[in-house]
Amino acid sequence: MPLHDTSYKHWTGAHLGVWRRRLTIARNGVAACLQNRWMRHLLLLCWSGALLMALALFAVGQLLVADSVVVEWVGNFNPRLQTFARMLTTWLEEHPEISVRTTQNVLFYYFSTGLLKFSIFAIGMIIPVLITRDLASNAIVIYSSKAINRGDYVFGKFATVAGLMGLAWLGPVCAAWFVGNLLAPDWRFFWHSRGALLNVLLFGICGVAILGFLALGVSAVSSREKSTSALWYIWWIVGGIVSQIVAEVLPWLRHFSFNYNLEQIALSVFRLGDDLKRVQDNIPIFGDMLRNVSAETMSMLNAPEFTGAAVASCFMMGLALAIVAHRSRPE
Amino acid sequence: MAPFVIETEGLSKVFGQQRALDGVDLKVAPGAIGLLGPNGAGKSTFMKCLLQLQPVTSGSARLLGREVGREGREIRKRVGYTPEQDCHIPGMVGCEYVTYCAQLCGLPFRVARQRAHEMLDFVGMGQERYRRVDTYSTGMKQRLKLAQAIVHDPEIVFLDEPTNGLDPKGQAQILELVQSLWRQFGITVVLSSHLLHDVDRICEQIIIIARGRVLVHDSLQNLKARRRGEAEVVVSERHEELLSACRKRNWAADLLPNGHVKVVHGCDSLNPLIELLDELKLPPLEVIPSPNALEETFVQALELSRAAA
Repeated sequence: MPLHDTSYKHWTGAHLGVWRRRLTIARNGVAACLQNRWMRHLLLLCWSGALLMALALFAVGQLLVADSVVVEWVGNFNPRLQTFARMLTTWLEEHPEISVRTTQNVLFYYFSTGLLKFSIFAIGMIIPVLITRDLASNAIVIYSSKAINRGDYVFGKFATVAGLMGLAWLGPVCAAWFVGNLLAPDWRFFWHSRGALLNVLLFGICGVAILGFLALGVSAVSSREKSTSALWYIWWIVGGIVSQIVAEVLPWLRHFSFNYNLEQIALSVFRLGDDLKRVQDNIPIFGDMLRNVSAETMSMLNAPEFTGAAVASCFMMGLALAIVAHRSRPE
Repeated sequence: MAPFVIETEGLSKVFGQQRALDGVDLKVAPGAIGLLGPNGAGKSTFMKCLLQLQPVTSGSARLLGREVGREGREIRKRVGYTPEQDCHIPGMVGCEYVTYCAQLCGLPFRVARQRAHEMLDFVGMGQERYRRVDTYSTGMKQRLKLAQAIVHDPEIVFLDEPTNGLDPKGQAQILELVQSLWRQFGITVVLSSHLLHDVDRICEQIIIIARGRVLVHDSLQNLKARRRGEAEVVVSERHEELLSACRKRNWAADLLPNGHVKVVHGCDSLNPLIELLDELKLPPLEVIPSPNALEETFVQALELSRAAA
């Protein structure tokens, strides 16, 4: 016999708004993703990378000031290198906005694109949690009978991917920027490196939007968990390789790989070619060194295939959205 | 509260060549409503159209005074639904699942969690609420479906075959809970079933649907009143004597396999039958007026519909 009242009780409180309901779906999705042990290990790896990046920024920051501890320390091993470093820092000190901006922009380009690979891998692990399982267990009917519509459901699932990418990618990158500049020898580093942060955020938004929609699309393709995960990895790895091979004949096929498109978007956002040119123009010692950069590399840095990548990404996102809209119908 | 919880005008739903709903016009007052019909009659489609789980082909519908199709979210805040098929959100334990469903209806987390436990108590789930939903038996899943449908305190709850797959004891328990929702707590219940006994037991209003059309919409009391001329008499002995006495009065009488005597007396009240029993000095154990009114109305409605088609 129950010790408390087990009869039905009415409730007269105020309902929360639709945004809170969408966030409930996202929060529940992220929590489900984090139940996977391998996902937690992967996140730990990403945040360890962020720590290493912050240390690297600290070391680079020390190279960019006159009374640098690192330059003094280098003198203990190689006095000639110390002389070179002092000459370099003299130039760099004269152009802090260029030196800080360029070094951080280049570093964050590589860090963002590198960490993005982990994020893509992580998405493959969570793809079944997004829509696949709901299709398998008819959960779409339950969602549809609650005070949300199909758009809210899709938004909540998209926010799940975005939340995970925030934890595995944008969070570590932004944290590395903040901690790295906090450890810098001068507070002005925050200001001079703002361009790098903005590029990270811009590329981050593009990456989250593209990968988020594609992940939802792949997740909605089948109700079998292994199939959707496998499809994601095949598209990423095999698709990337095959599209490069086939692209020798039909160059536009390169855009079949979402990884290639993201690389082109990253190059367009970070504009590394502009940075190199700025350094060549303002810091003579670098100007001499960078003359050796091949024309092909400069061309690739200066003129990435942004339009093709953007059009292909939009097309794929549209297709993914159409699949999600079709498959997330309750009946 | 609105005078009608469900109002439809010319509601139609077409799947390819088949008309699942064919111009349904209804005005349903609050209460315990039984939605009856053979398999494939359009009962589930009717519910799904009202809940916007399926788009309406033509016509209009209002639920709780709000336009279906325009105010979907607002309507579903005040509506509960237990689907016929097995469906749950995987990877969750029972109480998490019900809490999550309450949150999806806009309840704050703390309230949702508290109500989830209250509703799980109400439907009679014990410690199994801490087990993963995927491991539940059919009976537990039916209880869980009912809990998630009422956790946000809806004004109306749609139950699509809620006793499917349950043993007789489980069926009785679920029906008792459903019955209490309207009688004790004022929540309108729409019970879709092809089991007449379930509907007869708990519903006050009956809607019979076949071939996508509403054949009958009336209170159970009225339906029984239409068939007042019949009764079943339960006696412990002297069955033959009762049968012959009835036949002498030109009443059709039969001995049923369950030992009851079915009498078609054709009168508005049971008084002539009681008088006869009194004359015979035969005390009845029970006299059941219009015993199969619902079943007979149902069959008759279907036959008329078939003939019209």
